[in-house]
Amino acid sequence: MAKKKSKAKVWFLIHSWLALPIWGFIFFVCLTGSIATVSQEIEWLASPMVRANPPAGNPRMLTYDEVLARVEEAHPGSVVNSIRRPVKSQFALTVNTTYTDGKSGRLYVNPYTGVIQGQISGFDFRQFVRALHGWLLVPFTNGFAWGWYAVSFLGIPMLISLITGLVVYKRFWRGYLKPRLRIGQGSRIFWGDFHRLAGIWSVPFIAIITVTATWFLIEAILFDNSISISTAPPPAMVKRQDVPTRVDGSTQALLLSPDQAVAKAKGRFPDMQAESIFLPANAYSHYTITGRSSYPLILERASVNPYTGNVDASRTVSDYSGLELVTESMRPLHTGDFAGLWLKLVYFFFGILLTMMVLSGMLIWTKRTAKETAGMIREHRQSRRTRDTRYSNGAAGTPSHAGAGHFLKTEKGNS
Amino acid sequence: MTTQNQTILSGQITGFRVWWHRWRFHLSVLAILIPLCFVPRYIKDQALFSGDLGLGVHDLGVKKLGPWEVHMAEFNDLPPRRDGTAGFVKTFSVSLCESCRNEVRAVYLRIGKPRSLRTAGAIGFGSVYNMQIGVLIPRDTPPDAQLWLTAEGWDGSMHSTSFPLTEASAATMKWLGHR
Repeated sequence: MAKKKSKAKVWFLIHSWLALPIWGFIFFVCLTGSIATVSQEIEWLASPMVRANPPAGNPRMLTYDEVLARVEEAHPGSVVNSIRRPVKSQFALTVNTTYTDGKSGRLYVNPYTGVIQGQISGFDFRQFVRALHGWLLVPFTNGFAWGWYAVSFLGIPMLISLITGLVVYKRFWRGYLKPRLRIGQGSRIFWGDFHRLAGIWSVPFIAIITVTATWFLIEAILFDNSISISTAPPPAMVKRQDVPTRVDGSTQALLLSPDQAVAKAKGRFPDMQAESIFLPANAYSHYTITGRSSYPLILERASVNPYTGNVDASRTVSDYSGLELVTESMRPLHTGDFAGLWLKLVYFFFGILLTMMVLSGMLIWTKRTAKETAGMIREHRQSRRTRDTRYSNGAAGTPSHAGAGHFLKTEKGNS
Repeated sequence: MTTQNQTILSGQITGFRVWWHRWRFHLSVLAILIPLCFVPRYIKDQALFSGDLGLGVHDLGVKKLGPWEVHMAEFNDLPPRRDGTAGFVKTFSVSLCESCRNEVRAVYLRIGKPRSLRTAGAIGFGSVYNMQIGVLIPRDTPPDAQLWLTAEGWDGSMHSTSFPLTEASAATMKWLGHR
């Protein structure tokens, strides 16, 4: 029994000390991560140009060719790099464009009316929040940024926190049946109850976030050591003989239009959603069409030869190896952006809960420690005043010992 | 815990020590200074990526390739970066002259003279106004190496020019160990 108890004490000490020295950092990463899950929605609320308000009636969505024509009308001579149709219909199309002065930016185009509702260049709120959360804005100068390593490493202490938390929380499943959140009995009791209650209800979420974060760490290590687990073929280039030669000096386009390219891709893959189209980036490059399949965690892609219309390369779910299906699912699982608004809100809720768990863990620790420290100082001063050496010698061991017992009692819910 | 208690109990209780014991674990809050420090760099990088700073940080001027003119720049002042298993790659940017935008099919860049169009090197990606070329820099590149810029016309013609690497990228020369 005593052995079991001391083991539990070790688990508890690990759980207590694991996140504490870095709690401020974890708190920051959890908070920015929570905001990142809904950054698109924040943008939607803040900026009318990213919204897609359909006109009355049963309006038809513009095709990619029509969107291209609208952009050419508004910015003659500009070159469109990609057109993306957001998964949710309440968002405007985003068109990445390079202008004639060499600058590039993103246009927000109403998918029904073709009106260019606004444009941004340079700073992008969503990318900023992502960079803030994912790599602390540390630039990627050679391989993965050290900020990426610092953030993704947190997956390990968080995963251990989850495991040790469940080990030290005796019969934690009782918390599901009899949830307890005592509000009127002081902040220490409240934060303790909150920490346990939020913890048990967040088990799947914390498991997903920490496992995927740990994968991000592994991914960076693999990449930076030039180790590849990909079964993807190298990117296809259009064969030299497929590219026509123009001798008469005519400026007529030789390429298929985006709509024709999408039609070719759909001819090959009838179920393809064609959510985004990337236009050829040079004379030897393909149209790339991407979309979600029946397995929503993976984007399928088809490369359409812009001269012949052949689908020269493609990558569908069945082309992925079992290992890749797992590793490629990690990012969407971490961000929660594959099933619509409801899932994003679920992720946001549990993200904030996790952020609060970091905070509550720290509060519990400091309140407990502050109390004990104050008690010890009081005792110490008392002992000095009375000059009672016998008492002073005894006190050196007693409070800390009592403190550890107190920890365990607390976690059993006796306090 | 134990060491903390012992320190406190060993009779060294000063205001600073109490403060330190209570607040040392909150120092991790200072981690937010990391992104704060990188904000100016981040904004500058975004401006570079979106072309607001021009083609790149180091303007290499206009290169004449037969009838065509290509404006060229070193994209950033970083040393070549690892690109998976391919090796180390240094990025340059080009834009095509107004008259040649419809005539040039592709632009290539490599270290050393290409024997043919097939070995012309890395191909440029992007629009005619701002194209990027990631050129492979072998580790054993000599200090007098030449960069060869090749343009291929839609009519099948081909024109090249060359210039010293040392002129094009001081960061690459430094990375190679040449001063």
